[in-house]
Amino acid sequence: MEFLLEIMTEELPSSHVKGALAQLQAGFSKEIKSSGIEVSGLKALGTCRRLVLVADLGAGQPDQEEIVTGPPRTAGLAPDGSFTQAALGFARSQGISVDNLQVVKTAKGEYLGFKRQKKGKSTPEIIKEKLPAIISSLSFPKTMRWADKSFRFSRPVKSLLCLFKGQVVAVSFEGLEASNKTAGHFIHSPAGLTVNSYQQYYQALKDNFVLVDPAERKSRIQDQFQEKLTGIKAQIYPDERLLERLLWNVEYPLVIMGSFPDSYLSLPLEVLSTAMREGQQLFSVVKGKKQLPCFLGIADAPSDPKNYIVTGNERVLKARLEDARFFWENDLKISLTERAKQLSEVVFQEKLGSYADKVARLQELVGYITERLDLRNLRKDLTEASRLSKSDLLTEMVREFPELQGKMGGIYAQRQGWPETVSRAIYEHYQPESWEDPVPDSVGGAILSLADKLDTIAGISGTGYTISGSSDPYGLRRSALGVTKIILDKKFHLSLRRLIDKSVSLLKKKLTLPEEQVKAACLGLLEGRLRFILEKKGYSYDLINAALAPGLDYLDHTEARIEALSSLKVSKNFEQFIMMVKRVKNILKDSPKAKLDPARLTEKEEKELYSALKIIRKNAEGMMAKGDFAGAQKIIFRLQAPLNSFFDRVLVMAEDKKIRSNRLALLAQVQSLIDQLADYSQIVGSSENS
Amino acid sequence: MSMQSLFLGLSDFWAKQGCYLAPTYDLEVGAGTMTPDTFFRVLGLKPWRVAYVQPSRRPTDGRYGENPHRVQKHFQFQVIMKPSPLNIQRIYLDSLVSLGINLSEHDLRFDEDDWESPTIGSWGVGWQVMLDGLEITQFTYFQQAGGLELFPVSVEITYGLERLEMFLEQKDNIYNLKWSDDVTYHHLRFREEKEFSIYNFEQADTNMLRSSFSSAEKEAQRLISQQLLLPAYDYCLKCSHLFNLLDARKAISVTERVKMIGQIRSLVNQIARLYVEQEGEN
Repeated sequence: MEFLLEIMTEELPSSHVKGALAQLQAGFSKEIKSSGIEVSGLKALGTCRRLVLVADLGAGQPDQEEIVTGPPRTAGLAPDGSFTQAALGFARSQGISVDNLQVVKTAKGEYLGFKRQKKGKSTPEIIKEKLPAIISSLSFPKTMRWADKSFRFSRPVKSLLCLFKGQVVAVSFEGLEASNKTAGHFIHSPAGLTVNSYQQYYQALKDNFVLVDPAERKSRIQDQFQEKLTGIKAQIYPDERLLERLLWNVEYPLVIMGSFPDSYLSLPLEVLSTAMREGQQLFSVVKGKKQLPCFLGIADAPSDPKNYIVTGNERVLKARLEDARFFWENDLKISLTERAKQLSEVVFQEKLGSYADKVARLQELVGYITERLDLRNLRKDLTEASRLSKSDLLTEMVREFPELQGKMGGIYAQRQGWPETVSRAIYEHYQPESWEDPVPDSVGGAILSLADKLDTIAGISGTGYTISGSSDPYGLRRSALGVTKIILDKKFHLSLRRLIDKSVSLLKKKLTLPEEQVKAACLGLLEGRLRFILEKKGYSYDLINAALAPGLDYLDHTEARIEALSSLKVSKNFEQFIMMVKRVKNILKDSPKAKLDPARLTEKEEKELYSALKIIRKNAEGMMAKGDFAGAQKIIFRLQAPLNSFFDRVLVMAEDKKIRSNRLALLAQVQSLIDQLADYSQIVGSSENS
Repeated sequence: MSMQSLFLGLSDFWAKQGCYLAPTYDLEVGAGTMTPDTFFRVLGLKPWRVAYVQPSRRPTDGRYGENPHRVQKHFQFQVIMKPSPLNIQRIYLDSLVSLGINLSEHDLRFDEDDWESPTIGSWGVGWQVMLDGLEITQFTYFQQAGGLELFPVSVEITYGLERLEMFLEQKDNIYNLKWSDDVTYHHLRFREEKEFSIYNFEQADTNMLRSSFSSAEKEAQRLISQQLLLPAYDYCLKCSHLFNLLDARKAISVTERVKMIGQIRSLVNQIARLYVEQEGEN
């Protein structure tokens, strides 16, 4: 039987709508199901002005048998088995005949009582009971109060529509009474609408310029985009986030297309698209990589009969572009070199000093990295790039559009005649901003970005700052993700430990925590992000644990380890090998360390194991040093046969203490070799994996 | 249509909604929110409805009279309703209709935009109202002022008069707006914009501004200790404007900025707290 709920609100931030709908759906499903009512076909729809649930619900709770207890047996029954006054009184108060009383055993002892059928509540009753709490429990990133109410929500709640089988469910919530009334588009058809089914609701809204289903709005937007763009053979400058935002912001999308004077095309594409997006939420239109003097926008209206929406947006955009040009021309008057001198006035972080200090550290760090990567020819250009990298923080354009930091620096550097390596490095040095964002294209950009992020991680962690939950104002997680992603994607063969050592040594005097603690904190942060990346790449947690156990240093090696593990996991021998490794580990668990004396190896099998170990170790270590972990692993598998014979024929726990400890020492050497590859004991076998 | 008929129209509309029409406040402020008719009246329990025109000075927005859109002084029409009426969005839409705007021919949007003024310890939740892509109004439910949680909640509606008038006259250039039938915005304001831009960006004496800031700050603190809260608040407003001028001269480092804003906020928060205590006694 059909259930329909609509919560009308003032305009919710689009970023709140999706989360609210998901919570509403989950909360409703859980509460109603746990009340014993069947729920099927539950879906959540909506816009910034309405949160909507539709479902098919059962008629009500099933009837239940319950036992009502009265006085204890000893008080209710006389020794002769007749009912006492207490029993008679209880029966009277319950409105039943005393003959219906029987002895009931409970955890507390025996009582007199009786069974009765408890009628299940109807679905509307349950909804009336549960819905207010479900709505109140919705959480938002930020909430508010309004008028003289103490209730908090994302924005004021205006009305409730709640129907079951076409009938109003009389829910009361924060002074509102649910009804069967809704309203169309708040500007274009605001009159009240009365409905008694979802079909009617959906259609009445559609007729009154509200598409309540986000999928329908999306396809309408995409169709209209196509319609506008195919004629001029152009594309939209892709901006998924803006599209997602607008999708929830409008109830009846209308794509509009407008233009601006060609003279503004002299501004960089980055500036044009940012100016369009930030103020008016417009999309810029490109042909290949070339900006066209036009834009697309999404209005919330059925049509633009007098072209007011287009011309209005054009007028506003022109003023914004005029302002952007003012910033652009002013910015070009002062060179980045000149601005770099003022960086001592700009605080990077209170304890870490100014951006001039940071830039000086970056110059050292990029020098170190180019050295380690054998890219000394880049050193000079990257030192310059470091010096100029933060100058754009002082430009008016970045003040107005902070998200253009780095990019503007790169563009200005190019205009001021710096070599391509320098301007590209500056342009790209904030990348990647997220998991989806690509790492810098140029090697120089990657190195500068790496240096900048390392310095931030080491500096901020070193002043006693730690991330807690969602609070990470310095973006340490993002920086750490950037470091790991750059090293992996660029296949940089760099020792993370030495990078951190270098970065910490440059910050030395400014750090408030002991150096070792800072280094451990940095490594911990990076390991966390590496795990995140490996999970995103689809590796299971046990393989990740196994591959990370030998410790973090060269990330390219860690990745090679896990690739090798993953490809071998399917091979037949793998599981047996893991069992073997676990056996070795178990035996060694509580044993004291001992030194191996090869002369004391007496049995054939232990001698053979030792000589196999020596050869395998030599080969495997050579391969590991070159990063060939797949090869090393294959070789190590060859330990299996001699180990098997060893366990079959040799008693490790020999009575002779010296022989015993020598055998344990042999196994310890086996384990230490294996440990250099991975901690195989972490791996969950397919048989254990259910 | 003219600037003059616009603020006459809005005054008339909001007076009919029960708002008291306040005269413009006679100190330099960055926004209508900062004047006593808003700042003090949103504190405490007493209902309040007020509307007024307030010139707002933002020295860094100066463009020497050369930008068709930005000016270092513009005019706001400020409305406060306390407690916020439940149908306030509809009332606001009606105010636009009363100005002759046929909303069904346009795209009007309430776009998430929370407001915050760290200087006066205030923040609120709301929207910027966009009309065909033009921001014409800031619409805010005040949650906190002077560092205090507000109850009941006031709604603040701030119309940008020039923006709205450009929309009504369909003009691209602020200086082409009519103030009245025979006086233009250019006529009234062009020279002022040019001279003040030169003053704000190039000529303002930063040493004088700094010492004035510190004198005003001391005076505010002294007045607070004398329980003279309204005069003390005036000196906070002076501090705020002096700060904005120093900012336009790029004479404030990041650390100094945080410190100076903190100084003003601390004064304002003391004033708000004492005001609520005293009003509570009446």
